[in-house]
Amino acid sequence: MFLAWNEIMKNKLRFTLIIGVLMLVAYLVFFLSGLANGLASLNREAVDKWDADAIVLTEESDQSLTQSSFAADLVDGIDADETAVLGQLNAIAQTGDQKANVSIFGIDSGEFIMPEVTEGSAFTSGNEVIAGDSLKDDGFRLGDTLSLSSTEETLEIVGFTDEARFNAAPVLYTDVETFERVKFGEEAAGTDRQISGFVVRTADLAAVTDEEDLAVIETETFIESLPGYTEQSLTLNFMIYFLFVISSVIVAIFLYVLTVQKISMFGVMKAQGIPSGYLARSVIAQTAILAAIGVVVGLGLTLLTGAFLPSAVPVTFDIPTMLIYGMVLIVVAILGAVFSVLTIVKIDPLKAIGG
Amino acid sequence: MAVLEMKQVKKTFGTGHKKVDALKETNFHAEQGELIAVIGPSGSGKSTFLTIAGGLLSPTNGEVLINNANISTLNEKQLSKIRLKEIGFILQASNLVPFLTVEKQLKLLDKVKKDNMSKEQLEQLYTDLGIGDLRGKYPSDLSGGERQRVAIAKALYSNPSIILADEPTASLDSDRAYEVMELLKEETKSKKTTTIVVTHDIRLVDYCDKVYKMVDGVLELQ
Repeated sequence: MFLAWNEIMKNKLRFTLIIGVLMLVAYLVFFLSGLANGLASLNREAVDKWDADAIVLTEESDQSLTQSSFAADLVDGIDADETAVLGQLNAIAQTGDQKANVSIFGIDSGEFIMPEVTEGSAFTSGNEVIAGDSLKDDGFRLGDTLSLSSTEETLEIVGFTDEARFNAAPVLYTDVETFERVKFGEEAAGTDRQISGFVVRTADLAAVTDEEDLAVIETETFIESLPGYTEQSLTLNFMIYFLFVISSVIVAIFLYVLTVQKISMFGVMKAQGIPSGYLARSVIAQTAILAAIGVVVGLGLTLLTGAFLPSAVPVTFDIPTMLIYGMVLIVVAILGAVFSVLTIVKIDPLKAIGG
Repeated sequence: MAVLEMKQVKKTFGTGHKKVDALKETNFHAEQGELIAVIGPSGSGKSTFLTIAGGLLSPTNGEVLINNANISTLNEKQLSKIRLKEIGFILQASNLVPFLTVEKQLKLLDKVKKDNMSKEQLEQLYTDLGIGDLRGKYPSDLSGGERQRVAIAKALYSNPSIILADEPTASLDSDRAYEVMELLKEETKSKKTTTIVVTHDIRLVDYCDKVYKMVDGVLELQ
């Protein structure tokens, strides 16, 4: 630490540049992780809100909620701690000039997937909806009447709830009957209730149903099979992992150049009997200091940028993930210092004094 | 008592036709409180002699004893400890760390070794060498003479039994060179260390108790 710190303080410009590069890499990593996280929640937050273990869909829907449809009375064959019916439909909602892609959820207000209302009230009669509050950014307001693309039915926003987006579309929560009318038309009224799936909470997924036409899909698997979800998160995560490699290489190059410049100095120190281990630890400590400063500054800048971003940018910062990524950055930086350590260990003190 | 002793020490580089006897069979001993000069032209084997004495190079044959302990058989790690504990180097080019102040040059030794000078002794050393005012300065702010005096302080700070100086006056003008030798002499006498100065500068021999001449790998007492 002694050598490491004193060298940094003496050569502030040189080390500030290295910290600057590490800071930019950290900034990019944090920002990408925020973006990955934000894009992910764009797809999944309505599902996460259920806090469910699995969803039951028809076998032939191939894990797609939109493609699944069956009679609600199949619930009798479901064995789970808690069950909630869910009908789902994608539509374009329009009020005045405002148009938005929405996902309509038909639910029973007494069951566990009923969202908490953050503004206004819950739906009580037909054609009333609780809307995801991201719709507010698109200009939708309480009391707006929504016309839908696929039907003559209109819906009225009576309440808002937070964190309600499914596959990038804000969710409109309504009762199952309204959902049926929107999806199948007036003639569906009076027949068996047709829904898209059951959301279940249970410890034993295998025991949920023995119906051959139904498939029990774990929540995480269900989310991963949302259109585009896996591709998107793999791409962003790949970029993040690649940045870890890049930062390791950058640190390796910088430190190696600095170390090569100091070979004769290290040689003299070794001639004086200062152990290689002490010098090596000093380089490691120096790397840790530089990386830690770079990561902390990068984190600060990221959060600062996040505070000024328009809400249309889907960035959500998950502090625990960022802390882990920050740690990883420091660790890979230290791995980058290994080359320099090996160089120092190999320096022959004899050469330093021209013997 | 001999602080440094060499028994039939020989150093050969290369093999076959390219074989060079850098140091022919040498017997040498240095007592406590002695200031010894080894003079000779460049390429005569002075540096080989110094590096073997300092435990930086192992002899091909023979034994090197520091305070009666044989160091010829030690490995690099053990030698490193011996150098740290027993030997103070003063090198031709200043052996100072460029990013440490004068004070911290010495403090660095505290980080890796105990039993260095006490605070009072250190103050005395600063006064003796006339570098008390320089303690907050970096090597790049010092003149050649000042740097060499700091190097001497650094060599003495760890209370070594032997000081090995390789051309300590090479980068200095005559007045500064004499000043540095005067200091080395005083410190050798007052601290009862053994100092060996390797140089090609014949003017410095007046300060020394014994003078050896090195010619083609053969060491001769003058």
